[in-house]
Amino acid sequence: MGRRPNPSELLPGTLDLLILRTLAPGPMHGYGIAHRLQQVSDDVLQVGESSLYPALQRLLLNGWVKAEWGASENNRRARYYTLTAVGRKQLVSEREEFTRMIGAIQKVLDTA
Amino acid sequence: MTPSVQTWLDRAWRRFVFRWRRTQLDRELAEEIESHRLLKEAENSRAGLAPQAARELSNRQMGNIEMAKEDCRDMWSFLKLERLIHDLRFAARLFGRNPGFTAIAVLSLAIGIGGNAAMFTLVDKLLVRPLPYFEPDRLVRITGIFPRAAVSFFQQQSRTMDVAAVSTGTGYNLTGQGEAIRIVGSATSANLLSVLGAPVARGRAFEPGEDSPGRDSVVIISDALWKNKFDGDPAILGRVITVNGMNRQIVGVMPPGFSFPSSNVEAWLPLRLDPSNFLESWGTGWVPFVSRIRPGANVQQAQAEVRALVAQFKKTFPYPMARDWNASSTAIPLQDDLVGDIRGKLLILFSSVGMVLLIACTNVASLLLSRATTRRKEIALRVALGAGRLRIVRQLLTESVLLALIGGGLGIVLGMSALSIFKSVLPASTPGLAAAAIDWRVAGTIAALALLTGLAFGIAPALSASQIDLAGSIRTGSQRSTSTSWTRLRNFLIGAEVALTVLLVVSAGLLMRSLYTLSEVHPGFEPQRILTVRISPNQSSCTERAACIALYGHILDSARGIAGVKDTAIANTLPLDANQPYLAVDIEGHPKSADYPAPLVWSGAISPGYIRMMHIPLLAGRDFTEADGANSAGVLLVTPSTARLLWPGENPIGKHIRRAGEPQWRTVVGVVGDVRQYSLAQDRPAWVPGAMYMPYAQSAREDGQIYAAMTLLVKGSADSGRLGHEIRSLAEEQDPNVPVSQVQALEEVVSGSIADFRSTIRVFLSFAGAAILLAAIGIYGLVSYWVTQRTFEIGVRVAIGAGRPRIVSMVLAQGLRVALYGVGAGILAALAMTRFLASLLYGVTATDPATFVAVIALVLAVTITATAFPAWRAARIDPVKSLRVD
Repeated sequence: MGRRPNPSELLPGTLDLLILRTLAPGPMHGYGIAHRLQQVSDDVLQVGESSLYPALQRLLLNGWVKAEWGASENNRRARYYTLTAVGRKQLVSEREEFTRMIGAIQKVLDTA
Repeated sequence: MTPSVQTWLDRAWRRFVFRWRRTQLDRELAEEIESHRLLKEAENSRAGLAPQAARELSNRQMGNIEMAKEDCRDMWSFLKLERLIHDLRFAARLFGRNPGFTAIAVLSLAIGIGGNAAMFTLVDKLLVRPLPYFEPDRLVRITGIFPRAAVSFFQQQSRTMDVAAVSTGTGYNLTGQGEAIRIVGSATSANLLSVLGAPVARGRAFEPGEDSPGRDSVVIISDALWKNKFDGDPAILGRVITVNGMNRQIVGVMPPGFSFPSSNVEAWLPLRLDPSNFLESWGTGWVPFVSRIRPGANVQQAQAEVRALVAQFKKTFPYPMARDWNASSTAIPLQDDLVGDIRGKLLILFSSVGMVLLIACTNVASLLLSRATTRRKEIALRVALGAGRLRIVRQLLTESVLLALIGGGLGIVLGMSALSIFKSVLPASTPGLAAAAIDWRVAGTIAALALLTGLAFGIAPALSASQIDLAGSIRTGSQRSTSTSWTRLRNFLIGAEVALTVLLVVSAGLLMRSLYTLSEVHPGFEPQRILTVRISPNQSSCTERAACIALYGHILDSARGIAGVKDTAIANTLPLDANQPYLAVDIEGHPKSADYPAPLVWSGAISPGYIRMMHIPLLAGRDFTEADGANSAGVLLVTPSTARLLWPGENPIGKHIRRAGEPQWRTVVGVVGDVRQYSLAQDRPAWVPGAMYMPYAQSAREDGQIYAAMTLLVKGSADSGRLGHEIRSLAEEQDPNVPVSQVQALEEVVSGSIADFRSTIRVFLSFAGAAILLAAIGIYGLVSYWVTQRTFEIGVRVAIGAGRPRIVSMVLAQGLRVALYGVGAGILAALAMTRFLASLLYGVTATDPATFVAVIALVLAVTITATAFPAWRAARIDPVKSLRVD
């Protein structure tokens, strides 16, 4: 089993950013978020549950997402996360910051 | 991306809510994760796995989910806070288990911190906080006192200052408002309040020109007088009251707390400035000046100007003035002037209190150090269970800070009572003293002080405890393995403590000796069984000399008629009294010149029986008799010190003196013993070089009038309570408009004159007592700890034949060695420091050997006592048991 990169080991805050982005289209539960991340990244990013749930709690605590109970696909109770207005703003600014960071790293790799 | 305060607050609030709903969140998270797992399980089933295998795989896929839950729980709580609370709870439990240790530590700190709280309040209020006037740093006092003619001279000539005159408070009669009372009034130039920049609470300040004759029938009263005497009558303005027989209209009421020139002043009256009245302008009622430096000028310019103006003004005197008159006059900041007398006293008190706090801290630090050593096993165990060094240090610091905070809390309570004791040591009229109270600012400072103290005395023990050789400590459980540097630190701390104690006890000892010497001083008279009452008619009622002579003749006659009265007399002033009359006199054969101006002489006016009644010895010549009346030749009594000063080597009997300005000479007919007039420590201040007595009927004030206010003295054999009551009613019956003071026993006046001194000593004694107690505790702790550490060694010594006396002397030597170093350092410190006490000492030098020896003996005795108990314990060590212990 090859080691899969965990977003939390990338840049600090990257996992939060990815979760925020994933939630941008609409509410999703934890399993959905993990699934979606894996799918969109063509299986490159596999988010472990042990880092996903603390990250979600952190976002809740920061007020960037809110959680509501709803029915899941298999008719059980699942918690759906929705981006709040603050979270949306946070997404924009973190995304800019991330792009800037990546740009900088890219530049260093190219020239140094 | 620093979060704003708003988001930070939001987050803290949410965290708080989360913390509150923690159990529910925990349940929800578990459910959420389980639902996640089920979805995974379903996915695995869809991939074709058997149900059992699908479940197992999903469980594995979830990874270490308990860790994640733990991370979440951390997020829902105030982890650091909760750890702190845990530490605190642990510390509290620990304190509960060692009540003795806790009580000693907390009390030590409470004493130190409480004393500091009180002193800080005083120093802050009296020395640091600016005066409550407009731009107080521009206010200066011009030192020296000036005749009233100087007021307008300075006001007109000064370019750098606005000058106001304000007399120190003197007694005035307030009559026509029920019972006649004496109030303290201050005569001021009309511009005083505008110079100070102090507003009135009601009414108005004096208007320019209200200090000139004819317009001066106005008065401003204090808030206290308004409330107490006039019941806070809102219609007070415009009311006419009689002050010293003159009708004055109340034009203003000062706000509460206005205390200039001192806090006992109850009324401000215009200073009469009448250039046409020679005596008033140049002779009587000299006043101090206070000024405001004008914008653009500075203190240096003002000081230069004062020197120039004094020199200029001196030339305008209509009579020869001493060449060096007010030569040292200058302008000093008003605040320095107001606190000048008490600054030294305050600083001495402040440093003593600081020392007590230091000793307390040292003690607690040393206690904690020894406890840290005995707790090594516990700490080692905690380290073994995974506590980091930082965690251990934090736990120990939490304990010491908690101790300090409890001590601080108790200290504030103690400080409140300490403050009232300290206040009693300072003169009650000190401006701002009454208002000094422990406020939030002080409480805040105390809290900070307590925290700092806790950290200060906790850091060394905590570090010492955290340096633990884990394996060694647990294996042997030994309490002997402490590194020598910490032991040395402890020895040093206790030594320093002893040194500070020696310093404080020496100070207290010197003051005690001064008090003893003072109380043994013979005041020059015998105050036993003499009752006194002050009768103060208005001076205006004595313009006719005969009226007052008749009044007091009548009072004396009636007093003699009271049953139980053996002797009566009157005098214009009592020894050790606040009234100190003096006259400028001419001396026959000594022409006045700038080099030899008229000397000031303390001048008593007495009835003929006074000298005999007071048992003042008649040394030469004769006493006054009833024949020395208003119309007979002027006679005087002088004291031997005066005779020696004025006519060295000559017989004073038959010499002549007169009041400066009067035509007739008075003849010295007798010499009577010197009396401690001004204070028990001092006969007269240097600027009053002589003393004389005149018969009342012939007596004269500086304006030539006879004294109106006199003190009646009655010597009785009967019950003094009844007698006091009778003489007071006798005095009151004369005239309801004449204020009569409370009856006082002369003995009380004498002992009261050193009451301030006594209370200073009480304070010092309590400091010294606290210091000795703390030092004894410190030494006891040190030595008993030493014994505990060396149980094994002592056991070996006993086993190989050391006798008990040998062991006891070994332990005693341990305590004495530290004490001796401390005593040595303390003596050096005391030799250097006690000279700052010199102004408080009487009849003893600041390096009095007897006191030093006594203190050394005392401190060593205390050391031996404190060492005796552990020494006794050491002597009883059973070698068999001690060798088996570890």
